[in-house]
Amino acid sequence: MESKTFWECNKAYILTALGLGVVGFVFVGFLMIMDWGYLIQYTMHALIGDTSGVLTAPASELEQMVNAAFGPAYNSVAPEIIRASNERQEYIWYVFFAEIMIFVFLYIKNGRVTPTITRPNDTVQVLTSFQRAVIWLNIGMISILVLTGFNITWGLRSEGGDIPRILREFHELTGLAWIGVWLVFTVIAAKDMKGWRKNSTFRHFLPGSFKPSKRVIWFFYAAMGAALCFSGAMIITLHPSSLTHADVIQFRRVLLYLHFGASVLIMFFILDFVYASAVSVKGYLKGLWSGNYPREYLEQVAPDVLEDLKKAGRA
Amino acid sequence: MSRMKFYCDDYRCIDCNGCVVACKEAHEIPVGVNRRRVITINEGIEGKQKSLSVACMHCSDAPCQKVCPTDCFYIRTDGIVLHDKDKCIGCGYCLYACPFGAPQFGHEGIFGVKGVMDKCTFCAGGPDETLSENEFEHYGQNRIAEGKIPMCASMCSTKALIAGDASEVDKIYEYRTAKRGDNTSLKPYGWEAYNNGK
Ligand code: HEM
Ligand code: SF4
Ligand code: SF4
Repeated sequence: MESKTFWECNKAYILTALGLGVVGFVFVGFLMIMDWGYLIQYTMHALIGDTSGVLTAPASELEQMVNAAFGPAYNSVAPEIIRASNERQEYIWYVFFAEIMIFVFLYIKNGRVTPTITRPNDTVQVLTSFQRAVIWLNIGMISILVLTGFNITWGLRSEGGDIPRILREFHELTGLAWIGVWLVFTVIAAKDMKGWRKNSTFRHFLPGSFKPSKRVIWFFYAAMGAALCFSGAMIITLHPSSLTHADVIQFRRVLLYLHFGASVLIMFFILDFVYASAVSVKGYLKGLWSGNYPREYLEQVAPDVLEDLKKAGRA
Repeated sequence: MSRMKFYCDDYRCIDCNGCVVACKEAHEIPVGVNRRRVITINEGIEGKQKSLSVACMHCSDAPCQKVCPTDCFYIRTDGIVLHDKDKCIGCGYCLYACPFGAPQFGHEGIFGVKGVMDKCTFCAGGPDETLSENEFEHYGQNRIAEGKIPMCASMCSTKALIAGDASEVDKIYEYRTAKRGDNTSLKPYGWEAYNNGK
C-alpha cells in the first residue's frame, strides 16, 4: 500500500506534466519564434506596473521616438500572431489533428462502455435542473465561442466581410456573458475539492469524486477558462486604449498571445468533454439532458456518485 | 518608378499639428480616428524637444498585410499600402502588428463594435471605383488619382513633412542634411541607427 501510493495516486499528474513538458519543450525550443527572454523580463516589469515594454533606457533619440509612437520591440511578443498569421492558419490544423488522434487512440483502446440496463424506469436524479441549465448553457456558449473565435483565426478562408465581422463581434459579447457561466460550471464540475467535500451541502450538491485523470482535465478547463476570460475581458476593456496609448500596446499583444494559446489548449479539454459524454459511455448524454440516470447505470459506471447520493438521501 | 514614401524632418517639425488637421478635414475623418499624429519627446527641455509626424509609412514588407486574417491589404505597384473595408472584420490585429500604430478604429469601446479599420491611404483612396462617391465615403479623397501629393504634406508649413517618390524624397533629405552639415554618409540614420542602438 505504502510503496504504491505516490506513483499510483499521482500517475495522472506526473504523466500530464511530462507530456506537457515534452510538447512545451519542442514548441518553445524549435517551433516558436517568440523572444522568451524579453517576455519574461516584460512580465516582471508589467507586474510592478510598467506595461510600456521599454526595458532599457533608449540609446538614441530615434529609439525614444519609436517607443513614444508605437511601443518598443514590436515583434518580440506574439510574432506567431502578428508576423506569421498565414502560416498559423495553415499549421494550426496539425495541432487539432494531434488532439483528435488522442481520442481515436483512446476509443480503439477502450471501446465504448455499454452498461446493461434491465430496469430503465428505476432512475435516480443526479443533476438538478439548475446544474443542467448551467451545463447546457456552457455547451451552447462554448460552441459559439469556438466557432466565432476560430472564425477570426481562419479569416483567410472566409475572406472576411460583414458576416465574419458580425460573428467576431458576437464572440466578444458571448465571451463576456460566458465569464459567469464558466465560473458556475467550474464550481459544479469541481466535485471533490478537499475543503468542499468536508462540507455536507457541497457533497450533496456535487456527488461523486474524480479519478486523477479526470481531475487533471477539470483543473485544465478551469485554468484555461480563467486565462481566456481574463485575457478576453482585458482586451475588450483595456483603458487607456492601445489605439492612442503606445505604452499599453505591448500589454495588449501579450494578452492576445495568451488568449490564442489558451483557446488552442482548451480545445483539447472541450474535445475530451465531447468524447466523454458522447462516445466513451452509452447513455451519458441522455442523462446529461434529463438529469436522471438508471440506477443500474450508476452501479456499473459511477458507483461513487450513487454512494454519495444515497448518503444524501437522494437515491 | 520607385516607391511612394513619407519623410518627416524632425529638425523642421514644429508640432503645429497642421498635417493632422489637414488630413482630418480632407477626408472628413470622424472624431476619435487620427490617420496622422504628431509625436513629441522631451517636451519642454530646451534643445532636446523634438517632434515627428507619423501615419502609415506604407512599409515595403508591410506587417499589417502579413497579419490580417482576411488578407484585406494590397500593395499598389507604386508601393502604397491600401486595404479593403468590405473585407475587414475589425479584429484589430493589424494594429498589434503595425510598428507605427497607424491602423485606427472608429468605435473603440466595449461590446466589440470597434468598426472596421481606417488608416492613411497616402491620399490614394481604396479598391472602390476611382474618384467615386463610394470611394470618398470609405477612404476619403483620392488625390493621387488627381495627380496631387497627399494633403498633409502639401499643407505642412515648414515642409518638414514631405511625400512622394522615395528617390525624390531621398534627394531632398540628402540636400537638407548636407546643408545642415550632418555627414549622413558617416552617421547611420533611421532604422539603421535604431537597430545599431540595440
Ligand atoms: C472557450 C472559450 C473561448 C475560445 C475557444 C476563444 C477563442 C478565440 C480565438 C480562436 C480567437 C482568435 C485568436 C486568433 O486567431 O488570434 C479569439 C479572439 C478573441 N476573443 Fe476569444 N475565445 C474564448 C473565450 C473568450 C472570452 C471569454 C472572451 C471575452 C471575455 C473572448 C474575447 C476575445 C477577444 C476580445 C478576441 C480578440 C479578437 C477581437 O478583438 O475580436 N474570448 N478567441
Ligand atoms: S499600416 Fe503600419 S504596417 Fe501597414 S503599411 Fe502602414 S505603417 Fe506599415
Ligand atoms: S482589423 Fe481589418 S484590416 Fe486589420 S487585421 Fe483585422 S481584418 Fe485585417
